[in-house]
Amino acid sequence: MDVLIKSVKIIDKESTHHKKEVDMLVSDGKIKKIGKVEISSGKTIDAKGMILSTGWFDMRSNFCDPGLEHKEDLFSGMETAANGGFTGVALMPNTKPILQTKNDMKYVYSRVEGNIVDVYPMGAVTIDVNGEDFTEMIDLHEAGAIAFTDGEQPIWQSDILLKSLQYLKKINGLLINKPEDKRLNLFGQMNEGVNSTILGMKGMPKLGEELMIDRDIALLEYAGGRLHLSQLSTAESIEKVRRAKKKGLNITCDVAAFQSLFDDSYLSSFDTNFKVNPPFREKTDNDAIVKGLNDGTIDVIVSSHSPHDEESKKLEFDLADFGIISLQTVTSNIAELSDKVDMEELIEKLTSSPRKLLGLEQPKIEEGANANLTLFAPELEWTFDANTNKSKSIFSPYFGKKLKGKAVAIFNNGQMVIND
Amino acid sequence: MQQLSQKHLLGIKELTREDLELIFETADNFKDVINRPIKKVPSLRDITIANVFFENSTRTRLSFELAEKRLSADVINFSTSNSSVKKGETLLDTVNNILAMKVDMVVMRHSSPGAPHFLAKHIDANIVNAGDGTHEHPTQALLDTFSIRAQFGKIDGLKVAIIGDILHSRVALSNIFALQKLGADVMVCGPNTLLPKYISSLGVKVELDVKKALEWCDVANVLRIQLERQQIKYFPSLREYSLYYGINKKLLDTIDKKITIMHPGPINRGVELSSDVADSEHAIILDQVENGVAIRMAVLYLLAGVKTV
Repeated sequence: MDVLIKSVKIIDKESTHHKKEVDMLVSDGKIKKIGKVEISSGKTIDAKGMILSTGWFDMRSNFCDPGLEHKEDLFSGMETAANGGFTGVALMPNTKPILQTKNDMKYVYSRVEGNIVDVYPMGAVTIDVNGEDFTEMIDLHEAGAIAFTDGEQPIWQSDILLKSLQYLKKINGLLINKPEDKRLNLFGQMNEGVNSTILGMKGMPKLGEELMIDRDIALLEYAGGRLHLSQLSTAESIEKVRRAKKKGLNITCDVAAFQSLFDDSYLSSFDTNFKVNPPFREKTDNDAIVKGLNDGTIDVIVSSHSPHDEESKKLEFDLADFGIISLQTVTSNIAELSDKVDMEELIEKLTSSPRKLLGLEQPKIEEGANANLTLFAPELEWTFDANTNKSKSIFSPYFGKKLKGKAVAIFNNGQMVIND
Repeated sequence: MQQLSQKHLLGIKELTREDLELIFETADNFKDVINRPIKKVPSLRDITIANVFFENSTRTRLSFELAEKRLSADVINFSTSNSSVKKGETLLDTVNNILAMKVDMVVMRHSSPGAPHFLAKHIDANIVNAGDGTHEHPTQALLDTFSIRAQFGKIDGLKVAIIGDILHSRVALSNIFALQKLGADVMVCGPNTLLPKYISSLGVKVELDVKKALEWCDVANVLRIQLERQQIKYFPSLREYSLYYGINKKLLDTIDKKITIMHPGPINRGVELSSDVADSEHAIILDQVENGVAIRMAVLYLLAGVKTV
C-alpha cells in the first residue's frame, strides 16, 4: 500500500532533508519519494506539526520472555514497542532463565523473526547474573548477543568488571553496567533524603550510584574497552561521566526518559507506580539530567520498560518490585523534555546514538531506502489506559492519565503500524 | 459535633493542630468514663471493628481492644506474627475478606511503611494505623503528647528529647510530628548510626551525648532498642549501648533538675532504662498506658463520626 505523509518535518542529521518540511511517499516498505507529492490512491496522513525520523530504538527493555510471560512476552512487548514508536529494541537478559547461552539467543531470534520491530537480545556477563562466573561471551556474540550486561543487576565485583572489559576487546563488545552499590542500597526503597525520612522508609543514597561510577571509570581507565553506564540519576553521576569523557575515555551513558520528570516527593502517597530503581531523586538532579542531555554527556535515552504483574506491584510499598512500563510513554516524555532540550538532540538519542553504540546499521532517510521510520506527533493528546495500553502490565504513573505526544506510525521491515 | 479533618487515622502528619486538640478534649471525657464504676458507654454500638495485626503486639492490641469494648463496639481480632502476604493472600485480599463480613473500621498494624495508606486507597472502611513499619504510630504519639499535657498542663514551649533508635522508630517520627504541631521543641539523641541522616531537616535538634540531651530537656521519651527491626548492624553490642546511652538513676542524679521520663514499652530493663528509673517518680510510663485507652477511645469515637462523602 502507498502511504503519503504530508507536510512533515524531517529530523535526521545525516539526511539532506534534515529540518525541512516535506511530503514523503512510502510504498512497499521503501521510501519512494521525498518532496512535493500527490497521490490518487492509498493512505494520506496529514502530518503538519509532526516529526519524521529514522525508527526509534530502545536500548533497555524487559520483555520477560522466557519464563516470566505473565508480566510480558516477546509478542506483547513488540506490540507495545511498535505502538510507542520503536522499530528496534535491545532486551535485558533478566529473564528466567537468564539470556546467557547460544540457545537463549536462538530462542529470542526465532520468535521475533519477521516482526516489524527489530529485537536484539543482550547477553549476560555473568552466569545467572550473580556476578561470579563469566558466560561464554564470544560465543554469545557469535549467536547474536548485541551487547553484554547483567541488566538489572550491577556487576558488583571489581575484578569481574575489569576482566569483562578486557575480554570483550577482542570483539569490540559493549559492556553495559548499572552503577549501584547493593550494600549501601540494602533494603532501600526510595531516594535517601528528607522525604524518605518523613515516610520512614530506608533510603538509597546517591552515593551508592556515584561510588560505583568512580570505580567503573577507574577500571575502564585501567583496562580499556567500551563501557556504557545505564540509568544514571544523580547530578554528581552525570558530572563524573562528563569529566571521564573529557579525559578521552571510551565511556557512554543513558538515562530513562521519565527519570528527570519526577522527584522523590511523588512517593508521599506510597504509590508503587513511582517505585523505580534508580529511584526518583531531587529537583537539582533532574536539572542536571537536562543539562547532560543538552551538552551531550548523556548519549542515549532509554525506556527502561519493566513490566510487572499485580502480584508484584499492587502491594505494600516495600514488598513491591521496582520498575514500571514505559515503552508507550516515551513519546510523552520527549514532548515534555522538548521544552528544555532541543528536539533534534532528543531524537538523536533515540535513534542514531543507540544504533551506533550497538554497531547496528543506520537507516537512511533518502529516496530508495528501506523505510525504517517513526512518525511522532509531539502535540497530539491521548489517554494512556486499558484501551490504548498494549503491555500485559498496567503499572505506570501515567496509567489513566491524559498525555501529550504520541507515535502516529512506524515503518520497518516492509511493514507499518499506524495508530489512528 | 466537632469532626476530625480525616476519615482515617493514617499518621500524625495528616492531622491538624485542631484535630489533635479535639482528640485530647474527647479523651479527657473518656478518661473520666474509664475511672467510673461503670466503665462502658454505648457510643459505638452496632459498629464492628476488626483489629488486624500482621506484626506481634501485646499492649497496643490490648489497648485497642479495651477501648473498643468500652465503647460497646463489636470486635474481631486477626493476628499473624508472620506478615507472609507475599507468599499467600495479598493484604488487600485478606482485608477485603474481613470487610465482606460487614466490618466498619479496621485497626491495622503492619511491618510495611504506608500499608494503611495503601489500604485506604482501595477499601471503604475507616482505617486506624496501629503502627506501620518504621513510618508512623499515631495513637502512641497521641497518648504520649496527651500524657505530657496531663503532666505539665501544656505542651507549647516544652523541650522534649527522644532518645534511642530513631532510625527504626515509628514512635519517634509520629512524636516529632505531634510535638511540633503542638508547639514543643524536639531533640533526638542516639548513636549516629541510629539517627536518619536527614533528620535535622525536620526541624529537630540532634545530639549524640545522652547526658547533654537530658540536661536540655523537660521530658525524655526513651525508646525501646528495636533489635527485631534492625536488618543490618548499627552498633556493636547491647552492653556498649547501655553503657553510653542507657539512662539510670546515677545519671539522672547528676542533672540538677527533675525530668519526666517516658517509654512506649515494652522496656528492656537495664538496657535503655534501668529499673531504678523506670519505677521511680520520674517515670509516667504507667500513666501512658492508662491514657492509651482513653486516646484510642477518642480516636475511634471521632472517626466513627466522620461521615463518608
